[in-house]
Amino acid sequence: MKNKIFSFPVLAIGIAIFAGTVTAHHGSSVYDSKLTTYKGTVTDFQFMNPHTEIWFEVTGTDGKAEKWTAEAPSLTTMARLGWNKTIFRPGDQVTFVGNVAKSGAKILRLRKVVFPNGKETVMDRGEDYAE
Amino acid sequence: MRNRLLGLTLSAVTALATSPLILAQTSKTNVAKAQAPAPTVDLSGVWRRSRRAPDKTRKYTIYELAFSIANEKPPMTPWAEEKFKSAKPNVGPNAVSISESNDPILQCFPPGVPRIFLIRGEPVEIANLPGRVLMLFEYDHFVRNIYTDGREHTKDLPGTWMGDSIGKWEGDTLVVDTTGFNDKTWLDNDGHPHTEDLHVVERLRRVDHETLTIDTTIEDPKAYTKPWGGHAIYELKPDWNLGEMVCEDNVTYSDMQQKSEGGK
Repeated sequence: MKNKIFSFPVLAIGIAIFAGTVTAHHGSSVYDSKLTTYKGTVTDFQFMNPHTEIWFEVTGTDGKAEKWTAEAPSLTTMARLGWNKTIFRPGDQVTFVGNVAKSGAKILRLRKVVFPNGKETVMDRGEDYAE
Repeated sequence: MRNRLLGLTLSAVTALATSPLILAQTSKTNVAKAQAPAPTVDLSGVWRRSRRAPDKTRKYTIYELAFSIANEKPPMTPWAEEKFKSAKPNVGPNAVSISESNDPILQCFPPGVPRIFLIRGEPVEIANLPGRVLMLFEYDHFVRNIYTDGREHTKDLPGTWMGDSIGKWEGDTLVVDTTGFNDKTWLDNDGHPHTEDLHVVERLRRVDHETLTIDTTIEDPKAYTKPWGGHAIYELKPDWNLGEMVCEDNVTYSDMQQKSEGGK
């Protein structure tokens, strides 16, 4: 895909994302309603439709690295909010705020991002028909 | 009494005589005419469904505000009730998973009208050509041609996914009349059904420079016991251009999701 920073097997990523069975695509009931904040290191970024994905790592309480996926709205929506294909670079220290998947999968439905330079993007997500 | 009736009759005749519909040429070939009446009001621009709640009586979900026709149960006939039971939507209050859903748009079939307005919150661009108003949808680059040159509906072709639309101006309102549908689409995201006799009337009015309202009426006697519909508000997005949104990208994404669900 043109907009990928790294070439990474897309299918493998896809299966890894959904390994926690996020059912009813876009149904908000599969996400916890409270907001959780993670400060992580970006590892990969796919700027695409229908969802933009950012992979990041956080250090767990046991000192081990946890791999997370932040799911943001579509490329078309995020481009209108000022994003482009180089807005995330591997190694960036970013704050991700969102709704965690109830299944226990490390997936975050993104609501807000704080970039290394302090700039923020806030995303309007529907309660039951998300973008 | 007689004088008032005479006065009313004279007013009506005057109104009709100056109506653009009377003055428009009728044509034997269905090709948009350059001499069609100019739009009374310019509806052009990129528009996006407002998320503003209509009142403060309660909290509205975005599904109710932007992804539904009306926030009440449509008046279905027994035929429609049966058909509706078999619909398995992927979004909204009756949502099931993608692998369980039979929503035709998951296979990228056209959404039909008015559902084209209700998908994914993407904008629509309205533009003018001689004899036509165009609706360009970001959703999968659909285009609706609304013929405003006074033609009649096409009657001798099979029904289509998006219907056959003709438009006329009533004062500051563009009245779009659409018939000629096939019966393969859902009316909305919940899966409400319709027949090939579906008749949709949309009344478009630019309330102010930044606001467009669309009042939609649905008539389909076999499916609904009486006409019903909804009122939609659109906000102008002066700094937006339509982006590319390709339905098949959703399919790729869903396929990945379903594979990990293990065909659940």
